[in-house]
Amino acid sequence: MTKKERKSINQSLTDWKLFLYNPTTKECLGRTAQSWGLILLFYLVFYGFLAALFSFTMWVMLQTLNDERPKYQDQITSPGLMVFPKPVTALEYTFSRNDPASYEAYVRDLKNFLKPYALEAQKNLSVCNKGGLFEQNGPEYIACQFPVSLLDECSGANDPDFGYSQGNPCILVKMNRIIGLKPQGQPRIDCDSQDTSIATIITYPPNGVIDLKYFPYYGKKRHVGYLQPLVAVQLRFVPENAGQEATVTCKIEGSDNLKNQDDRDKFLGRVVFKFTMRA
Amino acid sequence: MGGGQKKGTVTPHEHNPRSRSKKRTKSGKKTKMKKKNKRDLEELKKEVIMDDHKLTLEELSAKYSVDLTKGLSPQKAKEILLRDGPNTLTPPPTTPEWIKFCKQLFGGFSLLLWTGAILCFVAYGVQLHFQKESTKDNVYLGCVLVLVVVITGCFSYYQESKSSKIMESFKNLVPQQALVIRGGQKMQINVQEVVLGDLVEVKGGDRIPADLRIISSQGFKVDNSSLTGESEPQTRSPEFTHENPLETRNICFFSTNSVEGTAQGIVIATGDSTVMGRIASLTSGLAVGQTPIAAEIQHFIHLITMVAIFLGVSFFALSLILGYSWLEAVIFLIGIIVANVPEGLLATVTVCLTLTAKRMAKKNCLVKNLEAVETLGSTSTICSDKTGTLTQNRMTVSHLWFDRVVYEADTSEEQTGRSFAKGSETWFILARIAGLCNRADFKPQQETVPVAKRATTGDASESALLKFIEQSHGSVAEMREKYPKVAEIPFNSTNKYQMSIHLLREGDSYSHVLLMKGAPERILDFCTSILLDGQEYPLNNDMKEEFHNAYFQLGGLGERVLGFCFLNLPSSFSKGYHFDTDEMNFPMDNLCFVGLISMIDPPRAAVPDAVSKCRSAGIKVIMVTGDHPITAKAIAKGVGIISEDSETVEDIAARLRIPASQVDPRAAKAVVVHGSELKNLNSEQLDQILLNHTEIVFARTSPQQKLIIVEGCQRLGAIVAVTGDGVNDSPALKKADIGVAMGITGSDVSKQAADMILLDDNFASIVTGVEEGRLIFDNLKKSIAYTLTSNIPEVSPFLIFIVLSVPLPLGTITILCIDLGTDMLPAISLAYEPAESDIMKRLPRNPKKDKLVNQRLIGMAYGQIGMIQAVAGFFTYFVILAENGFKPRDLLGIRLFWEDRSLNDLEDSYGQQWTYEQRKVVEFTCQTAFFVSIVIVQWADLIICKTRRNSVFQQGMLKNKVLLIGLLEETLLAAFLSYTPGMALAMRMYPLKLMWWVCAIPYSFLIFAYDETRRYFIRRWPGGWLERETYY
Repeated sequence: MTKKERKSINQSLTDWKLFLYNPTTKECLGRTAQSWGLILLFYLVFYGFLAALFSFTMWVMLQTLNDERPKYQDQITSPGLMVFPKPVTALEYTFSRNDPASYEAYVRDLKNFLKPYALEAQKNLSVCNKGGLFEQNGPEYIACQFPVSLLDECSGANDPDFGYSQGNPCILVKMNRIIGLKPQGQPRIDCDSQDTSIATIITYPPNGVIDLKYFPYYGKKRHVGYLQPLVAVQLRFVPENAGQEATVTCKIEGSDNLKNQDDRDKFLGRVVFKFTMRA
Repeated sequence: MGGGQKKGTVTPHEHNPRSRSKKRTKSGKKTKMKKKNKRDLEELKKEVIMDDHKLTLEELSAKYSVDLTKGLSPQKAKEILLRDGPNTLTPPPTTPEWIKFCKQLFGGFSLLLWTGAILCFVAYGVQLHFQKESTKDNVYLGCVLVLVVVITGCFSYYQESKSSKIMESFKNLVPQQALVIRGGQKMQINVQEVVLGDLVEVKGGDRIPADLRIISSQGFKVDNSSLTGESEPQTRSPEFTHENPLETRNICFFSTNSVEGTAQGIVIATGDSTVMGRIASLTSGLAVGQTPIAAEIQHFIHLITMVAIFLGVSFFALSLILGYSWLEAVIFLIGIIVANVPEGLLATVTVCLTLTAKRMAKKNCLVKNLEAVETLGSTSTICSDKTGTLTQNRMTVSHLWFDRVVYEADTSEEQTGRSFAKGSETWFILARIAGLCNRADFKPQQETVPVAKRATTGDASESALLKFIEQSHGSVAEMREKYPKVAEIPFNSTNKYQMSIHLLREGDSYSHVLLMKGAPERILDFCTSILLDGQEYPLNNDMKEEFHNAYFQLGGLGERVLGFCFLNLPSSFSKGYHFDTDEMNFPMDNLCFVGLISMIDPPRAAVPDAVSKCRSAGIKVIMVTGDHPITAKAIAKGVGIISEDSETVEDIAARLRIPASQVDPRAAKAVVVHGSELKNLNSEQLDQILLNHTEIVFARTSPQQKLIIVEGCQRLGAIVAVTGDGVNDSPALKKADIGVAMGITGSDVSKQAADMILLDDNFASIVTGVEEGRLIFDNLKKSIAYTLTSNIPEVSPFLIFIVLSVPLPLGTITILCIDLGTDMLPAISLAYEPAESDIMKRLPRNPKKDKLVNQRLIGMAYGQIGMIQAVAGFFTYFVILAENGFKPRDLLGIRLFWEDRSLNDLEDSYGQQWTYEQRKVVEFTCQTAFFVSIVIVQWADLIICKTRRNSVFQQGMLKNKVLLIGLLEETLLAAFLSYTPGMALAMRMYPLKLMWWVCAIPYSFLIFAYDETRRYFIRRWPGGWLERETYY
């Protein structure tokens, strides 16, 4: 029995070898060189043609696109909210005010983020009228200044550690950019701490008001230098309860066409993050 | 007596049934058991060896220690019964239902799906173990795969159990009785209780209860047709007439039927050791090979697995090179392999086969095993039994010779043939003799039944005459009433004639007429004159010469010929004269010869046409019969198995007037092989016969030889169908790739052994079977080509996702929607596709070369059409993302950010920022659109898969209505899945803008145009490069 099996293994091995290269018919993998040549040529032509057709249809499609504004915006009708800095995974922050290394990354990110908001960088931007939508007709689109001083204690101007060393860390909250979005009413970002015995909240500008002059946004191409309005949230940890987790919820309020509630999308017009100050 | 033979001197104790002793050694090791089984099987394949027929009655009595008049003592009988067990055939081991179910669940194709399911669960486990968050997709997929297997398994199990239920209804459950003499007492006992050595009495109409050695008989005849294939009843008497136990007169066999007369015999074998029992054990012991379609599916699985593993491994390597972790690469590997599993194909194939099985059942072909549906289509050789399959198994008058002319009688089943010279006075006399000198009679209460189908009592040839006269002359009953019988000498084998004297009344005067029929040469001896046109002429040598010519001619046709004569007795024998047949107080010479009537078991009407159809379909039809060579050859010629112009070696020898040994066997197209010759052939010589002759008839074959012939054909690479109805056919039926049994006349054993049953016993149904089988093979190819094509647009998104790091273009749920939803009905609808050309005009497929799924089909489906489809899907995908703000070049490498749930301000090409959920909705919209695109390109794929060679314009779109419904259904289903409000929650499928449906349409046209062109080139240059590389 075993002899037979070994024989059949040998047999199949030689069969394989013959399949890989058969010296008598000069076939490699069951085809001669010419046969391989023809079939490869066939597929070369076939795929070449297919690639050309694909490229052509893609080109036609790209021609129909507008560079300034996407064709459809029905999937983003209402902006999401996002915080900054962004931890690597979930929105959970931990730091210790006594350990600068624990918040070094946050501070660096904030500094980098605020670079375009530096006075120097905003020099070429216009000072716009407060309190109303700033609709423009082009061809030049003007970006409005966002004075970083509005962020007060979180501007980094007075405190290079953004409050982390004092146990009053700053987080920036921003509303996602959507081309052509015109908020109704007076939008503001309203933040709450779930448990004020752990931390209390202060927002800058006061009440988290977002000025309408930054709307509408005209897109990356037209609206060069556009600065997103920011709202800073400063948590004031109660030192006695250090080490406990503070949950903060920020919502867009005061505007009818900006949603802040969605079953699926937890970031639509709202953002929840957790902050822990280790003792 | 037989002392020279080893087996010759067995005592009854050693004569124990072999199979029973086998059972006792069951405790032995399994391997030993297997070997023993094999040896037993070899043993069973050998010819029957027995010597009881050669023994004298004294020796017989001594051997079985039985008194030939009083039988066994009841005591002894009881002992033997205890020792040998009951006289029944061991039923073939029936597979328990749950094993049958498991076979459906785990056989063939299902295995592939099971592997896929297990891989899914493994992948999920790995993900769960190493990464905290993991999608449940793999679990869903695994569950769906299991569900598909289970549902399809249940479905085919249900289908098969339905046909096996029909099978069970065939079983005859009436307990049989036997009349035995024990201790001098006659007693009626159950057949099961009959033991070795019992003295048994049987009479006409009984079933023989065991193998019997006849010790006395009176006009006893048995019908051996189910055992030997002889269509005529065989006389049984105590004389030893032939070495071969099957041919000697003094043995009758278990479960054959006695036709008439009575006999007493000693039981020489019971149960499984009877000749019938050996055949039954041989049958159930034979290993059944794989059906051709199962082999094809296995080959297909190999191909698919190879492609899957090749893709999986190469992308595994690629993903490692691209910097993915090992874990991710392994998950990808499993994902790719699983994605290559065509989930819907198992169900599609099963449904297609079921549809064909149903269609065949409507045409009276009942298929016991679904896979056997296709087998007839692949068949290249049909070995057909003669009696009852090709012929009607009913003796019928076929020729008459009177007035020096041979007339042909109508042998068709429906009596639609031509008539003959019925005006002749001679015919009138002949009909009178045939009707009066005849002991057969119709059984009562059959007035409404057509004459040919009425049941009769008596000998087959007498019944044939009776029916013939009833049909062509008039009521035999009236004739018999008018001319009452006054004396009779019944037929016996020494006289070889039958005589009866009837009273003839003409007006007031009475006279007697002596009528006689019998073996023609015997009859002629009695005659001195001959009747021509009603006038008596002296029987001179010229007349005798003519008689001999006619006799020779009819005999040469394989027919049984009877001669008829009469004598008007002188008026001295007045009414009331007592004729004494023992003293012969009347003259019986100088009779007047009237004519000859010959009879044959005629071919069924539909058979010649069916045989010629098989011929033109490239199928070799071989006749394998237990009947005599002359009869076999005559029927073979009659039905076209031997065509009119072809000759056997003997024919050539006779034509050239040289000895047969000088004829080159290769010169003869046809050959008739006798069983005794076959016995001496080794397998090479048999192969030579099978190879060198196209028209073959095997005559006088034993069941074992039938088996050897089938094995010979299979050895030469043929796919063999065997048709038969008798027990003697059952080993061959079982061994054949497809055994076809007769539903009405077939024996239970043959039906058990067969894979298909012709419910109407019509051989022509086989042609239907071949046609349907070939059609389903072609259509399965198309169906598989269609289903496999969409595999590429299903797998490639995942590959692109890995390589280019773009959002996933097609998800698991959408893939399942295609495989188990939209693709299903269209794929099945291809089973309804009419044939492209006359499939009965081409040769049967070569199972080594013409595969169900070959590289060309894979190349077409995966390499060409599938690629176009994938490109169509990607185009749609890129369109939707671009129109929503994500231009193609910004997508490359976006995957990590795109998949990050906490990143909710992902920037698009226009500077807008998206939350995770917002972009996921876009992604799922893309997946829906990709899915819809596949549906749209599958439209074109379905239309091109309708034909493999013809243009769709030749084939027509409207003939296959189911396909049109399929097109509509897949479109509606796609729209339903996309637009139903709840779908966003349930399946994560989103409504599409109209323009996104249109994206794939140019590609759909491309597929159609490309394939039409390809097929045009194939038609234009048959055998050209394109055909060799792309014709699947």
